[in-house]
Amino acid sequence: MSIWKTNDPDVKKILYVQTHGEADPERTATPFFLATAAAAMDNEVAIYFTMNGPQCVAKGNGEKIVIPRKGGNGRELKFFIDQAVEMGVRLLVCQPSLDLHGYTMDDMIEGVEMIGGAAFNDMACDADAVIGF
Amino acid sequence: MMDVIKEDQVLDCSGMLCPMPVVKTSKAIKTLEVGQVLKMIATDPGAPPDMEAWSRQTGNELLRSMQDEGKFVFYIRRVK
Repeated sequence: MSIWKTNDPDVKKILYVQTHGEADPERTATPFFLATAAAAMDNEVAIYFTMNGPQCVAKGNGEKIVIPRKGGNGRELKFFIDQAVEMGVRLLVCQPSLDLHGYTMDDMIEGVEMIGGAAFNDMACDADAVIGF
Repeated sequence: MMDVIKEDQVLDCSGMLCPMPVVKTSKAIKTLEVGQVLKMIATDPGAPPDMEAWSRQTGNELLRSMQDEGKFVFYIRRVK
């Protein structure tokens, strides 16, 4: 049984992989807004957060991480996270990446799901596209 | 002369940037009946290729994509 939910061959499955976190705010928003656009096109979409990625979905970081913008007026990452979640994008993490930062699932924002390496690879093989950041 | 397309709903996405016009269009089209037409207005220069891609992927029909007084205007028929 795949982590993907759809059995409809017309629904494409896109898996994004986010490896960046707090240290690289300029690299945090794009996976969320590409995933949002993909979901708006009626695809099934998930983002897998690994390495520093789980920092993007740790409680409080959505407000703390600000996407810089030349000339000021940066936007909080939370805006992009909320938009993605509202469109049905699923947020996935794995245990080793949580351990790397001393996180438990209680540190993750609501809705984040835990998967393992086997499930990730299974999803990747079953996806129509896997896009890494 | 182009035929006049009569819209059932208007969605103004002026000033919104990617991916907001696509997100709003996705939500708006689902409020229409199959066969009805959504007129969407945007200023994001990425909107024309985005709306073509969105239509291709979702199966909804982009009836017309045009520019009007510096804005991009799209007519989309809900197909499914």
